[in-house]
Amino acid sequence: MSFTENIEKQFAEVSNSNVVDLRRSAFTAFEKLGIPTSRHEEWKYTNIKTKLNEDISLAPADSQVNAAVKNYIASLPPYAFRIIFLNGVFHPELSIVPDINGLTICSLKDAFTSHSTLVETYFGKLVNYNEEHFAALNTAFVNDGAFIHVQKNVVVKEPIYIQYFFTASDVNAFTQTRNLVIVEESASIELAEDFRNASNIMVQYNHVSEMYIGKNANLDVVKLQLELNNAIGIHTLESQVERDGKFSAATITFASPNTGTGKPLIRNNVTARLVGQNAHADLNGLYFGKENAHIDNHILVDHVAPNCTSNQLYKGVLNGESVGVFNGKIFVKSDAQKTNAFQSSKALLLSNDASINSKPQLEIFADDVKCSHGATVGQLDENALFYLRARGITKFEAVQILTYAFAHEVIDHVHSKPIRQFLCDKLKDELKVNF
Amino acid sequence: MLSIKNLNVGIAEKQILKDFNLEIKRGEVHAIMGPNGTGKSTLASTLAGKEDYEVLSGEVIFNGKNLLEMSADERAREGVFLAFQYPVEIPGVSTTNFMKAAVNAKRKHHGLEPMDAKDFLKLMKEKLALVEMNKEFTSRSINEGFSGGEKKRNEIFQMAMLEPTLCLLDETDSGLDIDALRIVANGVNQLKSKERSFLVITHYQRLLNYIVPDFVHVMYGGRIVKSGGKELALKLEEQGYDWIKEEVGELAN
Ligand SMILES: Nc1ncnc2c1ncn2[C@@H]1O[C@H](COP(=O)(O)OP(=O)(O)OP(=O)(O)O)[C@@H](O)[C@H]1O
Ligand SMILES: [Mg+2]
Repeated sequence: MSFTENIEKQFAEVSNSNVVDLRRSAFTAFEKLGIPTSRHEEWKYTNIKTKLNEDISLAPADSQVNAAVKNYIASLPPYAFRIIFLNGVFHPELSIVPDINGLTICSLKDAFTSHSTLVETYFGKLVNYNEEHFAALNTAFVNDGAFIHVQKNVVVKEPIYIQYFFTASDVNAFTQTRNLVIVEESASIELAEDFRNASNIMVQYNHVSEMYIGKNANLDVVKLQLELNNAIGIHTLESQVERDGKFSAATITFASPNTGTGKPLIRNNVTARLVGQNAHADLNGLYFGKENAHIDNHILVDHVAPNCTSNQLYKGVLNGESVGVFNGKIFVKSDAQKTNAFQSSKALLLSNDASINSKPQLEIFADDVKCSHGATVGQLDENALFYLRARGITKFEAVQILTYAFAHEVIDHVHSKPIRQFLCDKLKDELKVNF
Repeated sequence: MLSIKNLNVGIAEKQILKDFNLEIKRGEVHAIMGPNGTGKSTLASTLAGKEDYEVLSGEVIFNGKNLLEMSADERAREGVFLAFQYPVEIPGVSTTNFMKAAVNAKRKHHGLEPMDAKDFLKLMKEKLALVEMNKEFTSRSINEGFSGGEKKRNEIFQMAMLEPTLCLLDETDSGLDIDALRIVANGVNQLKSKERSFLVITHYQRLLNYIVPDFVHVMYGGRIVKSGGKELALKLEEQGYDWIKEEVGELAN
């Protein structure tokens, strides 16, 4: 059976009776698009086609709670709000869903019926499935995910962890997960989208989030990609920010294969569309690549309305033969006067075989704007290394300390205090820095 | 404690130190003066183990060990300390964390457990007082945004924290106002002991009024061309280097 026949057969077998028309048109789009090859401009440095299994299976895999999941959950603060998915399937018995007036959190599967009006208004509206291969596939095969709706003026103070665990043993599984987040006017919430591989195989998944930030609303998202070990993960985050709204997304990726075999690959597409005046977006990222890991960040800030501001700060630390890709786009549409957009990409290459492909892309159609971008690729500062060593710190430790200092800047930008603290500890742990 | 014999050092294909000789005994204070570009910093950096400097020949014995065979960090753990002429700014690492790592690296080297947090804070407080430095400085990134004088004080603070046996001060007095000079010199004087030796590089006799040297050496063209007591510094202050250059010229002829 060819790839196309396989996909068609699987699409026919989907029993989801929700958003049928949308799923159909997304599937038609996917049939045209297929899986991109490296001939495609946006996939030039990330040859996903050769990495994904030929015989992908899109039906949700059986979802088993295993020891790794239990251990992890036990390590969380007992009160932490969490919504837990295993192999893309919601597990209410593992979750702690907050009971807050004006806040709805449920599985997307439930929301299709219980919040059908909202779903119809917002679902599938931000993703461009006519051009985005994986958004098309995800929309066609949508099964479950998190649905979060914050009503007007509701401020949620505790962060909510949305956790996706992979426990299945089917190497062909290509899990499709989907979040829909709607933050209404003057409401505020902090989220973590946490992906973990709790199996011992190479997992494959394709995640899409759509996030709406209303007038004067605030949404902070931290994408945690820390415990993936061997995974091929594709993430797409599409956001839209209205007047005076604030959106921040920090994507933290630690890609380190746990065996010598598989080749982990993480692709992040993050888009912020600023559609109302005075909207603001912070898109930050920190990525650590080890051995043969491949980490690709594609960012787009689309300035549609005037007087908006945006910052992008991406930092990478690449070891072994790992490969980093950074593509940062800033679009300033003709109406978007007084735009202030800033982008910075810095990569630290800690081995001779590590590499980074970094490409800023600015397309500016308004004349009264301030846009700047800078990209650096390099090694640690020799003078700084010598200074530390001249005080007795070993070369190894000096490298770890300076790497910590380099990376920490991104974590400083994470707004949620508990998540920031967690990341800070994680970074110290990773770099064996003990102060 | 330190014995430098026929040391030849080059950088970027250029020889800077030429058959350099110096003997420093335990507890002595030596001052080195000399015109710009004669190799004073080269000497200090070579002793501290900066890898850019290439040792062409010669030997350096420190407390009976071959110093030139040790890495920069090993030398520091063995008790060599260089107060930099140009201290480096390191964003993102606080002086507190830096010192914690440095103190514990040294302790580990000597087979000791890491210092507990309370003792460490006490030690910091004590040593900050020595250079009249505010505690705030230690929570800031290393030297970042520090004034020239603050950076130099920070060097002496670090020296006090690490309790080295050989202190190399490379123009620690330059950029200091009169009060700061007195404070830094006081700090150094309090660290003087029978066990600790100093090599003080300076352009000004002024510093030597505070830190009184046992020997003053004049460096010229990559070697010591004249040595004397503290009165030699006074003579240089009054007469400059011309007479030295003349003497050297005569010697060469
Ligand atoms: N990285 C380098 N590349 C080339 N030449 C260098 C380098 N570093 C130092 N030098 C040269 O070595 C010589 C000695 O420099 P050094 O810094 O030791 O002088 P110094 O006696 O400390 O001078 P000052 O009193 O100005 O501090 C100078 O001529 C200098 O230009
Ligand atoms: Mg000098």
